[in-house]
Amino acid sequence: MKRLGLARLSAALLLAGAALPVAAQLPAAPAAAPPAQLPPIPAWGGTLEPQDRDERGLWMMSADDEQLIRGSRFVIDDPALNAYVRGVLCKAVGADRCQSVRLYVMRVPVFNASMHPNGMMQIWSGALLRMRGEAELAAVLGHEFAHYERRHSLAGFKQARAATDAALWAAFIPIAGLAVSLGALQGFFIYNQAQEKEADLGGLSFVQRAGYSTAAFADVWERLIAEEDAGRVARGQKPRAGRRSGFFATHPPSAERMTYLRALARQAADTGDPGAASLRAGLGAWFGRFLEDQVKLNDFGGTEWLLADLARRDGWTGQLLSTRGDLYRLRGQDGDMAIAAGLYREALAKGHADPETRRGLGLALLRQGQQAEGQAMLKAYLEAKPDAGDAAMLRMMAGLPSPATAGPTQ
Amino acid sequence: MKRHILIAAAAATLVAGATPAAAANRLIVPNVAVAVAKSPMMVQADREWNRLGARPGPLAETWTLDGDVLNRLDFYGGLLAGTTLFREVDRRNRPLPKLRADMLPTDIPTLFEQSYRIAQNTSLFTIDSVAPATLGGANGVRFTYSFVRQDEDVTRKGEAVAAMVGGKLWLISFEAPALHYFDAGIASARTIIASAKLPGK
Ligand SMILES: [Zn+2]
Repeated sequence: MKRLGLARLSAALLLAGAALPVAAQLPAAPAAAPPAQLPPIPAWGGTLEPQDRDERGLWMMSADDEQLIRGSRFVIDDPALNAYVRGVLCKAVGADRCQSVRLYVMRVPVFNASMHPNGMMQIWSGALLRMRGEAELAAVLGHEFAHYERRHSLAGFKQARAATDAALWAAFIPIAGLAVSLGALQGFFIYNQAQEKEADLGGLSFVQRAGYSTAAFADVWERLIAEEDAGRVARGQKPRAGRRSGFFATHPPSAERMTYLRALARQAADTGDPGAASLRAGLGAWFGRFLEDQVKLNDFGGTEWLLADLARRDGWTGQLLSTRGDLYRLRGQDGDMAIAAGLYREALAKGHADPETRRGLGLALLRQGQQAEGQAMLKAYLEAKPDAGDAAMLRMMAGLPSPATAGPTQ
Repeated sequence: MKRHILIAAAAATLVAGATPAAAANRLIVPNVAVAVAKSPMMVQADREWNRLGARPGPLAETWTLDGDVLNRLDFYGGLLAGTTLFREVDRRNRPLPKLRADMLPTDIPTLFEQSYRIAQNTSLFTIDSVAPATLGGANGVRFTYSFVRQDEDVTRKGEAVAAMVGGKLWLISFEAPALHYFDAGIASARTIIASAKLPGK
């Protein structure tokens, strides 16, 4: 019973928050004092082993968590995706360090990456969807590895504030309640300001050595905050992130973090590759599945923001246009169907060949009472996907005769 | 193994009537038409079911054979536009999608899927089939689905029949673990669904 209910987790996070004055008492780094250069990468001492009683306890809890994760249906076991993400990690931290990591890619539409002290690393699909490029992915994985290598969670554990970065990342996302049941330690490592800075710089040292752009990590925080705010505003709430309440009130001020990350990004030495194209290739068809998971969260404002952000990177591709059409069609408020139809048409005009675009357009047209054109689109979809799960229903809606085999389930 | 203990405990709890909710549980007698979901929808069972005291929403009700972890039959009785399929789980941060009076037959399983993804914390939910069907004489849709809850390793299967009548949604869904329990319960669930009578139909 390593699972925690949301209520218990919230209570634990509150406790963690109550203990945080420890972090607040840390001497604040002088504002805007960027490091002249990234720290050197220390010699690798080999795979970590627990060294004292506290650490053995932490490892035992981690082993329990890992058993739970290993058996979870939410682990994506696609060898190609795993090989890609692991390849980025290994390129970043180097082959020797990489050997001590067991990496799990989880299908959870929340931005999160974490590493347990026993070498279990997780990255969630919501993070992969939001990466600008491979360099940023390397920076996030390198950041987590740096916490691990420096035994940061043990220090936190000893201060009775153990947690993973899950809380840290997930606190930005409106659906933070999601995925809290994936292990007892999940969501419990809240690192202090000094540790975060160490992990940021340590991670970027890896990134720089691997030849990636060190600018990668600079605005990930701002993007998460902006997305969260967009979601709130669309739900008729006030943006919260900028007001330093909640998470921001009890955590190292991210303004300082953004300052030093930006300073690093500005350094002329940064000629590395952001790796947008290689990330897209590495995610392959999973990118579309992660987009679909996101659209189905019913977070209209956050998803609108995210799609626009992805379009800033890739341009409005047929896939992004069609996904945005889905977003409007699923919301279905007055006027949304016309907007959705327009977006689907734009996607088609760009040569987007996914039959789902025609399905979406057909349904958006039918919702507007444009019967003939809507039915034509559904017919086109059915020609492309005659065995679709909803073919029997769509045939009827398209005005096609139902084949003898398409009766109700026996 | 953990799962089986959990399931056994849930079943035992239901039989013993030990939970507060169990106090309001009621036996459904076979071959007697009963109104369900605080609505005029009438159904008739072919075997004994238990009606749970806890309702998914104001116009909904749940029946079970062996405990709602093992099988559940949910009735939704004439939900209005602007409402949600069931009670919100986190209205502020993760609101459920709202019904629209102009929903197409295919929009019903879509709404169902979104509501489940949000309420059950899962990205592992698929609509497996959607076909024309009738509910209580009204034209509608039959759909099958499968999903995994986030804190479980059990695949659950479901089958539902739904119709929009006069801008209101009527829906009955049966779901159970794919292993054994779905097959064991679906025949009786289909009999009940086929017996449904809607007002004015
Ligand atoms: Zn960190």
